[in-house]
Parts: sequence; C-alpha cells; structure tokens
Amino acid sequence: MTEIQSPGDTYSVIGKSVKRIDGKAKVTGQAKYTGDLKFPGMLVGKILTSPYAHARIVHIDTSAAEKLPGVKAVITHKDVPSQKYGISPARWDENIFCIDKALFVGDKIAAVAAVDEETVYKALKMIRVEYEVLPAILDPLKAMDEDAPLIQADYPHNINTEIHQNFGDVEKAFAESFYVRTDRFVGQRAYQTPIEPHSAISLWDGDKLTVYSSTQSPHYFQYYIARQFGLPLGNVRVLKTYIGGGFGGKLEPTGLEFAGAALAKITGKPVKMFYDRHEMFAHNRGRHRQYMNLTTGVDKEGKILGVHADFLMDGGAYTSLGVASAYYAGALLTILYDFPNYRFDMYRVYTNLPACGAQRGHGHPQPRFAFESHLDNIAHHLGLDPIDLRLRNARKPGTITPNEFKVGSCALQAAIEKARDISHWDEKRKTLSQGRGIGIGLGAFVSGAGYPIYRTDLPHAAAVIKVNEDGSSATLYTGAVDIGQGSDTILCQMAAEAMGYSFEKMNIISADTEAAPHDFGAYASRQTLMSGAAVKQAGEEVKNQLLELAASSFGVPAAELDAQAEIIYVKEKPERRRTFADVAREFFVKKGPLVGKGSYIPPKLGGKFKGAAVGTSPAYSFAAQVTEVEVDEETGEVNLVEAWDVHDCGQVINPALLHAQVHGAFFMGMGESVWEEVLFDKKGKILNANLADYRIPTALDMPQFHSELVDSYEPNAPWGVKEVGEGATTPTMGSIANAIYHATGVRINSLPMSYEKVWRALKEKRERDSRANV
Amino acid sequence: MYLPDFDYYAPPDLSEACRLLREFGSRAKILAGGTDLLHKMKHEEFTPEVIISLKNLSALREIRSEPGQDLLIGALATQNEIANSSLLQEKYRSISEAAWNMANNQIRHMGTIGGNIVNAVPSADLPPILIVLGARITLVSTEGERTVPLEEFFLGVHKTVIRDDEILTQVIVPAQTTTGSTYIRFGLRKSGALAIAGVAVAVTMEGEICRSARIVLAAAAPLPLRARQAEQVIVGQRVTPGLLEQAGLAAAQESRPRSSIRGSTEYRRDLIRVLTRRALHKAIQKEHI
Repeated sequence: MTEIQSPGDTYSVIGKSVKRIDGKAKVTGQAKYTGDLKFPGMLVGKILTSPYAHARIVHIDTSAAEKLPGVKAVITHKDVPSQKYGISPARWDENIFCIDKALFVGDKIAAVAAVDEETVYKALKMIRVEYEVLPAILDPLKAMDEDAPLIQADYPHNINTEIHQNFGDVEKAFAESFYVRTDRFVGQRAYQTPIEPHSAISLWDGDKLTVYSSTQSPHYFQYYIARQFGLPLGNVRVLKTYIGGGFGGKLEPTGLEFAGAALAKITGKPVKMFYDRHEMFAHNRGRHRQYMNLTTGVDKEGKILGVHADFLMDGGAYTSLGVASAYYAGALLTILYDFPNYRFDMYRVYTNLPACGAQRGHGHPQPRFAFESHLDNIAHHLGLDPIDLRLRNARKPGTITPNEFKVGSCALQAAIEKARDISHWDEKRKTLSQGRGIGIGLGAFVSGAGYPIYRTDLPHAAAVIKVNEDGSSATLYTGAVDIGQGSDTILCQMAAEAMGYSFEKMNIISADTEAAPHDFGAYASRQTLMSGAAVKQAGEEVKNQLLELAASSFGVPAAELDAQAEIIYVKEKPERRRTFADVAREFFVKKGPLVGKGSYIPPKLGGKFKGAAVGTSPAYSFAAQVTEVEVDEETGEVNLVEAWDVHDCGQVINPALLHAQVHGAFFMGMGESVWEEVLFDKKGKILNANLADYRIPTALDMPQFHSELVDSYEPNAPWGVKEVGEGATTPTMGSIANAIYHATGVRINSLPMSYEKVWRALKEKRERDSRANV
Repeated sequence: MYLPDFDYYAPPDLSEACRLLREFGSRAKILAGGTDLLHKMKHEEFTPEVIISLKNLSALREIRSEPGQDLLIGALATQNEIANSSLLQEKYRSISEAAWNMANNQIRHMGTIGGNIVNAVPSADLPPILIVLGARITLVSTEGERTVPLEEFFLGVHKTVIRDDEILTQVIVPAQTTTGSTYIRFGLRKSGALAIAGVAVAVTMEGEICRSARIVLAAAAPLPLRARQAEQVIVGQRVTPGLLEQAGLAAAQESRPRSSIRGSTEYRRDLIRVLTRRALHKAIQKEHI
C-alpha cells in the first residue's frame, strides 16, 4: 500500500513506472499466444494462394487433396458467403476466396483443414487450379494509363480513392511568396513485421462462433465476422490472449477468421489457422508506397504561406484501410506548421500487388519525411538554420488548422527548443566533421480518431470495474487491446487511481467481446485517451459509491470524503480514515456487487467537407527528433550515432512504458529510413519475404537514444494524457534524411535511404563537382 | 513451410557415415549445422531422399595444433567455436574474427566451418580468409582420404570438386610465413546480413616492402575469387596509400559480381575497391588480426 503523502493533490498510482502487469508471464514463457493454444480435436488449416499477380480462375479441382488421408475439408469460394467485405465500408472489395480472378501473388484461392500441419501443406499442393494469366499492373504510375488492364471492375482507371481538397487560396499564396519550391519524394512499401505471426482459432458451439485471434481489434473482427456469416453480434465471441505486436497489420480481418470459421463449421472441429512469415508479407496491409510532390511558398523570413501536396499512392489489389491512409497522408500535414493556405490532391490506385493498409503512423510518416526534407531544402536556400525555420512556423496551442482540426494543448515550440539544447545542435551544426551530420524532423499524431472506421453511434470505449466482495482485489473489464504496448498496465493504473485503490491489487480482463464491454481497439493511438476516459469514469463511479456508504459511518457528507491508495478519509481530517477493503466489504454485504462503469464518446469534431473526419482527434501529440549520423562516404554506409526525441504527449501515466514506446517507434522509423523495403520481381512475386533480406534493424544498429518530455497537459483528456506510440515514428525518416544531408551534402529523395542510394548520390555529386572544376 | 519427407541417419562414427554416403551417393545430403541445408530444403531448392547427420561425430569438432605444426580445425567446429577458440584468437585472429562477424549468434551457434565451405555459395565468409592463409581440406570416403588445397576446391555456385561419396572432415591451416592477414566484409546491416562484398588478404611484409600478397574476394564471382592482378600491383613494391588504392582498383576490375536485390554490380565492384584497400592497409599495419 502506498502511503498518502498529501491527500487529494498528488497521484498515487499514475505517473509511476509500475511493472508491466503481463511482464512476468511474458518473460517466463507462461504467456500463451493464440498459436500456443490447443483444443481437443483441433485441426490445422491453411490457405492456398495465387502464384500469379493477375489471373482468371478457370477451374479448381480439389478432389486429389480431399482424398489425402488426414484431410478433413477443402473449401473454395463455393463453400463460403460470396458477399464482399473490407475494413473501409465505402470500399468493400474483398471476398473470402477469389471468385473469378486472383488479383495478386498471394490472393486467397482455397483452404484446407487437416489433422496436422504437414498434411495441410501436402494437401495444398494437391489442389489443382487452372489459371488464365492476365496482364498485371505492378507500377502504380501506370495504373491510370488509358490502356491499363482493369483490376477491380467497379473502379475505372484503377482509381481506388481520389481526393481534392482546397483550403484558402494556394495559388495566391504562391504568387505572393518570396520563394516557391517544388520537390518530389518517393516512399517504399514497408511491412509491419510483428514478431508474432497472424493466427486465429475458430470453434463453433451450435450457432455460436468463438474466435481466438491475434488481433488489434476484437470488435471490428466480431462485427465483420458476424456480418459475413449473417450472425447477430452476440453469437460471435472474439478474444485474444497475448499479442506479439501489430503495428496496424492486425487491425482488419486477415482472412484466417473467415476461412477458419467456415472450416470449423464444416468439420465440426476447432480449426487453427496461421500465416507463416512469407504469408504474412503476402497478406501485407503494410505501408503504402507514396509518390509525393510538395510545393511550398514562403516569405523572406521563411514563414510558410501556402502548401500544395500532390500525391499518389500504391494501394495494392484491395482497399484495406487505404481510404483512411490516403486522407491521413494529406490531412496531418497541416498539424505541425501553421499556414493558412493548403491544397491536397491524392490518387490511391490499385495495383496487382499485396494490399497496403495502416502501419504505425498510418498514412503520415512518408509525407512527413517528404515535408521535413522539403523544409530543410527551403532552409538551405534561404540560408536559415533548419530549427529557426521550424520555430518560425511551429503551431501554437489553441489554434485551428486550415482543414479544421482543433489543436488544444501544443508544446511544440518547447519540444523543438529542448531537442536543440540537449542534442547540442548549435555546436554540432558548426563543428561536425565531413561525413558526420545532425538533422531534425518534427512529428505529430492523433490521440485517437474522432470517428470509428464504420458508421455507428456506439461509444468509442467502455469499461466496467468490479471490486471483489472483500475488497482485496478489483477487476477491470475493457475491450481495449494490449498488443505489447502496455495498455493493460496503464489502464489498471488509471482504474486504481480513479478508485483510490492500488495497482498491485488490480486484475484485468481485456479484449474479449463476451467478457468485456465494447471498445474499438488498438489503433490510431487511441486507448490511453479514449479507453482511459472510460476507465476513469468507471473508477470514479466505484469510488463515489464507496464514499456515499462511508459518509454515514463518518457522519459527514460524501463530498467531504476522498479515497486514495486504499484509504478512504475525511479530507479536512485525514487521520479519520477507513480502509478501502473494509468499506468495499460493507458495500457488498449491504448493497450487493460493487461495480463501476464508464464509456467515452469524443466531442463532435471536424469540418463539413468531404473527408473532413479523417485526422480529427480530441488531442494531438507533438515531437521533435534530432539524429546524428556518420556516413562512410566511400561505401554509403549510414551509421546512426545518437538520437534525441522530445515529446509533447500530455500527462504521462507510466514513464517506463512511454519511453519504451518512443524507443520502439524510433527503431521502427529508422528501419524504414535506411533498411526496410518489400521488393518484387517482374511478375509481382515478393523477393524478400523473410527477416534476412527484409532488413529490420538489429540491436547493434540502434544508436544511443534519449527520450525526453516537455511539460504538457491536455484539457480534453483524462488526467491530461495524449498519445505517444505512433507520433514518435513520424519524425524519424525526416530527421535521418536531414542528418544525411548535413553529413554529406546529398539529399536522398526516396526511401529507404539505403547504403547503395547514398553511395550513388555521393558518386554523382563527386562527378558533378569534378565537372564543375574542369 | 515444412521439410519434405526424407530418411534420416545419424551414424555413430565416420566410417559408418562414409559407408552410408557411398550407399546413397547423390541421393543423400550431409547435415552438419543445417543453417543452409534445412532452409533450402524448406524452399525445395534441395530435396534429398536421405539425410546423414554428423551430430555424433564429436571428434570432428576439435580445433588443435601441435607446436610448429599445422593448425587443424574439425569440419564440425561451429562458427562460435572458431570465434571463441583461444588457439585461433592467439595465432589466427583473422579467422576467428571472420567467424565472429559473419552471422548473428543463433547462426554462429549452429553453422559449421565445413558447411560454410561445402555449401559453396559466393557470399561465404570463411573460404576467402582460409584460402589466403593457404588452407587445405581433408576429404574422406570409404576409398580413403585426400587433401585438396581449398583454393582448388570451388568450381561454381554449389559446385565443388567433392565427390558424392566424400565427407569434408577437417581444415588444415599451415604454419604461416605471412606477417599479417584480415578479412573485411560488407553487409547491409550490422548483424544478420549476408556479405555483399568481402575481401581477405594475407601479406608478407619486409619493412615497407610487400614481399608477397594473397587477396581473395567474397561475393565477387560465382566462387571465391583470387585477385591476382591486385596482388601483382603491390608485390615487390614499397607500400604507399596510392599503391593500395591501385590494388583496390585492380581488384574491382577483375571482380565479376552479380546484380541482385542486395546490390548492383556497379556498387559491389566499388565496394571491392574500397574493401581491398582497407584490408591491405589493415593487414600491413597489424599482424594477423
């Protein structure tokens, strides 16, 4: 029990680096992930996928596979509902299995359930599929060509999403600018690469389906599975055990739930489905490759007057979360810098490649890389220090962006200044030797999306807290999903704080659609703020009930009581006290179960224009990141020496988990900066669907890293919290690009900034310089 | 992904292993560390009917030397055993360093020197340093044994002079008259990345004069490539920075790297230039590290 230091005005649970609630189970190996679970009679299932990027399916013969001993079922599109699904309701464009055409190498054709894994693999090889190979589009820049083959019949010119937004008068701003600059940048296809593969176990009991899934959102899975099989939500239970990372790739149905549910129904047995590493890459839903033209006009002092973002993104064969990705790409460019005129044009095109979706930072990191690089070019042209240029344009608190996002708390200026100071920026900009450089990038992100993915009036988050009958423990029930980021821990901290209880006595049941109340899940950096708001309300309801009951025993009104750290006391006379457990037990005896509940709905946010909802949020986080690099100018090798992140993420619930998030976010951002790219051959087959050639960084590649904070409090959030997990990925690519530029004088305009690209750029610069000297 | 079906043997001794290999010939594959074989079997690049595991042949893990004699490294010595061997660290640090840098810890625990040689892939890290040090290998079959200079062992990718009935049992590193050696590799991250270029050198210096030099390139051709023209640039010469750069240029010119997703021919060739110069500089400055 924590001693009350100064009742009422300090926190006893939040703001402390309590140990992870799941830490012991994970480090001792006791934690069971979906793939570890076993049920009596459980079968193993796998999906057969297309070897062609674009092909008509002429005939599927499953007879040989069905005859293989141990095979219990082989299914194709004929055995499952044919209605289309997707995660974005505006563009439902996927089928459980392909009906007429396969749209990429890896598209789902059929599935097998058998007694063991080996039999499944053998059976997959025995399914004969006759294809008529069609011309494929692998280059997104050619997708809209007149003579391009059509990938999805309902989408002319292969345009999946088209956006044209105009705020203020950009042309006029450019005409009035001192300097107008256009740069073109290209991103890459990156993949989330969670360590735990996707998996799902489906079990039927009569008309009721239970799915154990490695998912970021049991709710969306429940919603789409119920819709696909025509079941009421109450007949579908989705739950997760422990999750080994998601990063956006496990937010939408993976296909394993649908195929598994169908196979389980047919065989009457539980069916475990999973992706191996290669299949994870093929299923994808990772980062879109974006082509980004940016034009910016500034005045003599570097004040930004107007920006035009003209983008195209490679969506792959399906929509996935790509509509939101496309809007996010442009929407969030307005957050960091205050400029009045903004135009955003975007085409998201279909290609015959794996579908892209939401990856940490959603559509924003690549445009942020582009914009931060672009700003450095402008600073260079104007002879300004890149930090001075940023400070001149940095957003202030209590402002509204041209696309009508309301920014409440914002300590961006303080974050930039602190990053500058702790990195010794001023000194290093002047004194670093050739080949060594320091660069800055800024970032920002939503603390939860203002609107759910499909249209519904359900609250965004809900929570129930039940106190044990003798008050010796309490259980938090929440639909929030801990995918490794630590939400189970911080939500228990928040619950204990709100109840006046202690963290050590909290239990949690989360992410189970039957046991816990609804919550949309882990995406858009929403849970600390949104799930936290519901948890806080539930905790306060528990506390208030106890104070009401205790009031009579103290003989004072409840308003004169408070509870903290398991003690209920009279505020004016703290020595008059009873233990939480004592009062809770009395409550149970006299009134029955002690339960508190809460729910959260964000305020109405955003403008009225098309797409106005994407990017709205109750609160925005801000970050400044400085990176120091050392470039081997002969080989192009980029060595990250040191990096500094300063975050404005509101009040912190658990500092250790927060800094871990920032470390991880930087690590992921640096991987996309220098190493990671999904590559394809000329027929659309992935060349590096493994961890040897898809090079996520290793511990050795991580630089010395400093994660720091600035004082910040968000009035729209419980205890003033904001997000950190995605926001800290957004500045990294720009900060590394700018450090490479400072080190070498070469600007790498495409991701990843691989050793060979740096080498080539340096070689070309030397050739230019020697020609100039002749 | 799963392993295709095969019959499995784990013979108790070398003679039984040889007998099995004689019986199954090209239908069999030898399993040592398995870091390459099992991966290729899962991808069906190799589909042997028979696997003969050498796991019981512990005598083949030994690393030993007699005073004044050759150094003997058993074919089953793992990369970590080579990296951590005090004998190698003292006498042939360049070999132990090459083993240390070639892969991550998990791979080094399993991968063997024999596998790294017999597998015969261009990016293999141990053959170049062993070749510049004049290593020979012992091949054993039911017919007896023979010793082959490692330099003459490789014929191309996955192609060597080993017969279907032979097992590589040991690597022999002769006592050195060279004064310095090193292997420098270039991978696309700090650990867990195949070499996209590598250069091993061994030199014999007499004051500032280079009396002899051997340079072997990794990932520069279908097989470990002796850079003879680069050697000729420096042998008999007083070493200067300009001369080392010339040797690097010569090595780059005689290299024949392929383009792949890991690097273009042009890039790899320039890396060979840089690495050759750096490796020569290091081997000349410091003894056998």
